[in-house]
Amino acid sequence: MSPRPGSFAWLAAHDLRQSWRGFDAAVGGLTRIKAVLLAGMLMAVHIGFWWGLRFNGPEDPLAHDSSLSRYIALGVLFVLPGIIAQAMTATTRALYAHGDLELLFSSPVSARAVLGARAVATAANAIAWFAIVLLPLANVNALAGHLHWLAIYPALVACGLFGTGVGIMLALAFFAAVGPRRARLVTQIGATAVGASFMLGLQGYAAAPGAARASLMKVMESPAQAGWLDWRAFLSLPARAAAGEMRALGLWMMVALAMFFFATFVLGKRFASAAIISTGAPPPPMRWRETRAFRANLGATMRAKERRLILRDPWLISQIALQVVYMLPISFILWRNGGVTGSPGIVFTPLIVVVGAQLAGSLAWLALSGEDAPDLLRAAPVAASRIERHKIEAVLTPISLLMTAPVVALAFAAPWGAVCAALFTLGAGISTALLNLWRPSPSPRGLVLRRHSQSKVVGMIEHLLSIVWAIGAVMAVMGYWAALVPVALACLILWLSRSRSLRVSFPAAA
Amino acid sequence: MGEIDRSAIPPALVLRDLRKTFVKTAVDGLNLNVCAGELYALLGPNGAGKTTTLRMVAGLLPADSGAIEIFGVDARRRPIEAKRIIAWLPDEPMLYDKLDPLEYLEFVAGLWGAEPRRAQTLANELLETLGLWEHRRERCEGFSRGMKQKVALAGALVHEPRLLMLDEPLTGLDAAVARQVKDLLVARVKQGATIILTTHILEVAERLADRIGIIQRGRLIAEGTLGQLRGMGGDDNASLETIFLNLIAQSERAA
Repeated sequence: MSPRPGSFAWLAAHDLRQSWRGFDAAVGGLTRIKAVLLAGMLMAVHIGFWWGLRFNGPEDPLAHDSSLSRYIALGVLFVLPGIIAQAMTATTRALYAHGDLELLFSSPVSARAVLGARAVATAANAIAWFAIVLLPLANVNALAGHLHWLAIYPALVACGLFGTGVGIMLALAFFAAVGPRRARLVTQIGATAVGASFMLGLQGYAAAPGAARASLMKVMESPAQAGWLDWRAFLSLPARAAAGEMRALGLWMMVALAMFFFATFVLGKRFASAAIISTGAPPPPMRWRETRAFRANLGATMRAKERRLILRDPWLISQIALQVVYMLPISFILWRNGGVTGSPGIVFTPLIVVVGAQLAGSLAWLALSGEDAPDLLRAAPVAASRIERHKIEAVLTPISLLMTAPVVALAFAAPWGAVCAALFTLGAGISTALLNLWRPSPSPRGLVLRRHSQSKVVGMIEHLLSIVWAIGAVMAVMGYWAALVPVALACLILWLSRSRSLRVSFPAAA
Repeated sequence: MGEIDRSAIPPALVLRDLRKTFVKTAVDGLNLNVCAGELYALLGPNGAGKTTTLRMVAGLLPADSGAIEIFGVDARRRPIEAKRIIAWLPDEPMLYDKLDPLEYLEFVAGLWGAEPRRAQTLANELLETLGLWEHRRERCEGFSRGMKQKVALAGALVHEPRLLMLDEPLTGLDAAVARQVKDLLVARVKQGATIILTTHILEVAERLADRIGIIQRGRLIAEGTLGQLRGMGGDDNASLETIFLNLIAQSERAA
């Protein structure tokens, strides 16, 4: 029996169908072969877990190794921020992208039902991603006779509902706190930080001085009674639920449901009014400037246009800056290890090369695939190659300026390392920019960090090029002539990925 | 419309046996002659091939076969030269949300290689004429559809094209903005520019166009002045709407 049109269940079914179609489109249509491959991958994950658990013998891993409970707690720490971040992003997207929201709000359906249905779809999406990894673990253990592992199923659903509720509340709180004009940027940065908090935390832990790490480990191993790390404390509720403690599971599900219902049904009206306000949010005012003369040079005009489009989009800048932020903990680790095993040149040169390559890849993608008015450029009386050349110049100029500071800083500690860093960063930057020129993947500019979701191969090649140039840089710093081998390899990879048939960006003229 | 001596000037646009097939045939051996200095309205039902034809002329779509000549320039063999003298204005404005109108006009003028001082003077004039002067330093992202369409129109005119092609230029505009756009187009034609426009608002074609071409299934089924088209229908008082619907129905029956 299908639900009554306009009811909450009917709306939820509609949103879930849209989510499924989004997944279907992302994999390019779920054909029978792809479905078989997907099933095969799931089977492989099951077999992998079975292989790993086999060494535990017939014992229940939880009973066999008490430290596993800590890993389950870590797992929850990994899952929950991910779900909260997804919900924050989905709520912000719904508030600003609108899509079908205006249609829904203009219909006689309650705002609570609309937000509730969308929240169900968001939670389902988030749960699905983590289920792929976590449920095979539960299945394998349950098959071995340890049925309480099946508690991961309801615990994960509860995590999904709880995380979605918190995500919606945070997004609406940001909206209320900073206003519609800034809320989008602030929430998206917040979502990225929350989503990456576990990884950043781990890297921060690894980078911390040895004494601090030792004391933290001591507290974790024998937490104070009723302290926040105590296994019986409220904060460990989701972990105890996932570990199969029935009372904890029941409580965790009630908490999660309460949070979900509060966020969706109590805040539903607030969501609707926020969505209406965001429609009329005016763009930021421009600083008044005196009118100056038009530029006579096409290259200067193109560079000015690209520079303005990037500098006036704080969301893009924040996404690109986050790429660098993610690498900072790695640099601390390298710095610490480098003190023992290597020189600053060996430590920092590859890092500079990789950052430069990634930044060049992002900016090149923005300029080439994220072009807002491709038809305007195609209709212009300028050869496609000339437009592309100017775009590449527009990308490499700010990268050169940005990378100058770390290279100059390195020059004081390791002059030869700085020379290598400059040369290899230039090579890496040009190669990732050219890759994006030859293998464009048009998408909206806001998706810069997910730009390779349409073409995973290009993403992999871009990372490969960064790594190969970085290896070359290290070898050059160490004075090996063999550094030319990675350079040649990078050129070969680039040449092989050059596919003129895929060049669809500006087939302007001849 | 004022009469212009057109004998010494090559036709603004000549299409010969132009063809384009996607899954279905969109343009099927289209022949068209648009004289220099005239305002030509290209009409047809949805999916008749109007936009596809104009996109091929603008160099945005490669033709399967046939010839495109713009003021005597073979657009298929010398596309850059042809693009230099044309402007294309689609129904969805080709804008950058983060640029202001003046920056956008500077960018377009730069793309077309317009002389900077002349382009700047013209840009200021266009912004004044179109009522955008007060908004010249505001980003386009906050503009209404009508304002965006006017910025795009200013962009199409800032490099002084000899042939201006507009796809549904009045769709979604309010009466005041539509009047501004129509006045500007008529003024351009008086100054010697050639304009080809597609529209579903037949009253616009009836009032503005020197000649009207009607295409269906990628072929030209009728062409002429309003009087000539009335003659084809056998009713000297018929509106363009009646003539259009009769001609389409006749063509459907013949197909």
